Amino acid sequence: MSDEARLRLAFCGLHPDRADRLKRAFGSPAGAVGALASGRVAAPEAVRAAAALPFAACRERLARLGVTPLFRGGAGYPAHLADLPGAPDVLFSKGALPAQPGVAIVGTRRCTRYGTGLARVYGQACAAVGWPVISGLARGADAEAHRGVVDAGGAGVAVLGCGPDIVYPAEHRPLLESLLAGGGGMVTEYPPGARPEPWRFPPRNRIIAGLAGAVVVVEAGETGGALITAAAALEQGRHVFAVPGDVGRATSRGCNLLIRDGATPVLDPADLVASLSLLLGPGRAPAPSGPAPPVEGPGRALLAALPPGGAALEEAATAAGLGVAEAMAALARLEVAGLVRRDGGLVLPGR
Amino acid sequence: MFAAVTSVALVGIDPCPVRVEVHVGGGKEAFQLVGLPDTAVREAKERVRAALLSSGYRFPYRRLTVNLAPAEIPKAGSAYDLPIALAVLAASGMVPAAVTGVVALGELALDGAVRPARGGLGAGIVAAAAGFPCLLPPGSAEEAAVVSRAEVRVVRTLAEAVAAALGETAPSPPSPPPETASGASVDLAWVRGQALARRALEVAAAGGHHLLMMGPPGAGKTMLARCLPGMLPALTSAESLEVACAWAAAGRPRPIPSEPPFRSPHHTATPAAIVGGGSGVPVPGELTLAHRGVLFLDELGEFPPYLLDALRQPIEEGWVHIARKGIAVRFPCDVQVAAAANPCPCGYAGDRLVACTCPPAGVARYRRRFSGPLLDRFDLQVAVPRLDPADLCGPEGEPSAAVRSRVAVARRLQAERGALNRSLSRRDLDALQWRPEATRLLRAAADRLALTARGWDRVRRVARTLADLAGVGAVAEEQVAEALSLRAAG
Repeated sequence: MSDEARLRLAFCGLHPDRADRLKRAFGSPAGAVGALASGRVAAPEAVRAAAALPFAACRERLARLGVTPLFRGGAGYPAHLADLPGAPDVLFSKGALPAQPGVAIVGTRRCTRYGTGLARVYGQACAAVGWPVISGLARGADAEAHRGVVDAGGAGVAVLGCGPDIVYPAEHRPLLESLLAGGGGMVTEYPPGARPEPWRFPPRNRIIAGLAGAVVVVEAGETGGALITAAAALEQGRHVFAVPGDVGRATSRGCNLLIRDGATPVLDPADLVASLSLLLGPGRAPAPSGPAPPVEGPGRALLAALPPGGAALEEAATAAGLGVAEAMAALARLEVAGLVRRDGGLVLPGR
Repeated sequence: MFAAVTSVALVGIDPCPVRVEVHVGGGKEAFQLVGLPDTAVREAKERVRAALLSSGYRFPYRRLTVNLAPAEIPKAGSAYDLPIALAVLAASGMVPAAVTGVVALGELALDGAVRPARGGLGAGIVAAAAGFPCLLPPGSAEEAAVVSRAEVRVVRTLAEAVAAALGETAPSPPSPPPETASGASVDLAWVRGQALARRALEVAAAGGHHLLMMGPPGAGKTMLARCLPGMLPALTSAESLEVACAWAAAGRPRPIPSEPPFRSPHHTATPAAIVGGGSGVPVPGELTLAHRGVLFLDELGEFPPYLLDALRQPIEEGWVHIARKGIAVRFPCDVQVAAAANPCPCGYAGDRLVACTCPPAGVARYRRRFSGPLLDRFDLQVAVPRLDPADLCGPEGEPSAAVRSRVAVARRLQAERGALNRSLSRRDLDALQWRPEATRLLRAAADRLALTARGWDRVRRVARTLADLAGVGAVAEEQVAEALSLRAAG
């Protein structure tokens, strides 16, 4: 199998299943590309034009974008992904792709505070022990998991459902840049210029699961991408963890169903790290973050009462058993000390 | 051949005496009306003529000149019929000149009956100041009756008015009913939970600070805002009269209020309805109706930007200035603004249980709507979360009256310093006493939380109010810390 034909086929930006069918029908990637370029199989004009693109032009375009093509079985292509049936022939990547399996943290885009907060702390915890954290750069849980990685200064991988030159959603460009700057990577099987069309995302999820040794679903409804990722993980023999939620809440139903079907429930970050150590090998001890500034009195109680997803000040005050005036004063001191931050009406741990 | 009767015109919301002068002279028969009358005033001559004839008087078919002095104040409405008729009678010698020693106001019917007209309260105030009795038709007399020193007589016809002006007894209006609860105000005791918002309301009431509440639909923002008037000190009698004048000027007479007014204009209201204006003589808007009270802007994000812009300067200055061709008036609007907004278009950003469905860019766009000059005036900004159902069944909270007594103490301290904390300028704030730890925390906060200069001032104003509530002279660290948590972003 030549790199040339595989790259040119990848540049067509077909659905992976279609590309596989064509490869089988025409015997090889080269045959498939030839068939597409010559019009022997029906394809949109854009696909035909892409199939006709010479190898050198493809490489040149990638070089201009600073994107590295990785070939299945070649250097840089993660071996644990390459071993899987259905893994993409070519990956387009930026930054560093970890050689060892990481942890995928995924969840619904329509996350509640519960899910976003947990995604972030799990992201932080896994990154802090040195495991790569893989997610999909989507809104909601995915983005929070990536942010957790950035908080902890770890290496994260964003798997896109569009071309490597497009950031979707666009507001996550700064997040992706800080991931890359922090030693993380970005990867996609789609060629430059591929739009984030809805059909591109479900196949993308098999890469998320494939790059990971275990998948953590923080919050998911009964349908959606996170469950597709979990299904892909089971198919690939990856371990699935799910964060239990309120049984009556629609946004946690997917997770609860996963647990019913045998996924491991996740409790706090330490519990997750302990469980994952059995699968991924012990991580390095988290870098001591320096002596925590001493917090006394109401501030300590408030900090201890703050759930990872944050809370409204009043909820935190009630949980800490403080009066509201006292809690407000304590909050401001913690905020000035950089131990909590505020977002709208929420108080969140961390800076 | 000359007579003058006193009546009243409004300058802004203030009643001002108008002398209705009538001269009956020789020459060709005419009826001249001068002194900036509007159309309704001009039509007075037909009504006056008919009313005089119907009441059994003659009409002097001579050269009649009627002047409404001072001539530069615009006069509107039909209220000058009665004083013109009295002055015509006196000037033509049909009744003794003593009829002119009154303040009179009322529209005349063609049969000589007197109908109510706007300005009853103003007439009472002018009459009390001039020491004259005040002749008013039923319907207007009740308004004037609230002025304690006014001697009000109810007159139903022109003939009764002449008799009353000459000293015959005429009935006094019934004394005004005590103000019944307006229904606008909610007692704080009915609010369950919401400890943070209660605290913010108390601070807002104590320092007169403008308050913005952000929270999902159904969190109780409107109910909380309605508690504010009941937490403010009761109006003094001078303030009550001002409020009554403002309402009367807007054509909505009301009993003298003791509780500060509460107005909640809708976001679709026109600028004229909110700020004041309208065609002809400008009429006060919602801002002036809320004078000495609370202006509540519900769904702040829905108010069009030009409306918020139009509000900014009046709120800052306490006056609405309206200049028209030939007329410049100002209406008072010393208001405290309370506003409510959803945290995002769907309303559920940051909610405990419900996921927000807004794209982040949409949330950012929505929040930008509140940014800008008006928001800078909100010293207090608090989140009002949805209640836990458990809180709904909780005990009743502290009643408004208890909070009001603490607010009164804090207000007294401010009065001793000379100004409400809301209006403290940067220089005033610098001149206040700050404990060293308080200053240290302020500096650290400015640094760490990237406070803007305005944000820094807002925190200091709120801290001063917290210190007033605590009854301490120099602002301590504790108060600065609490103020930081109540601050508006930025």
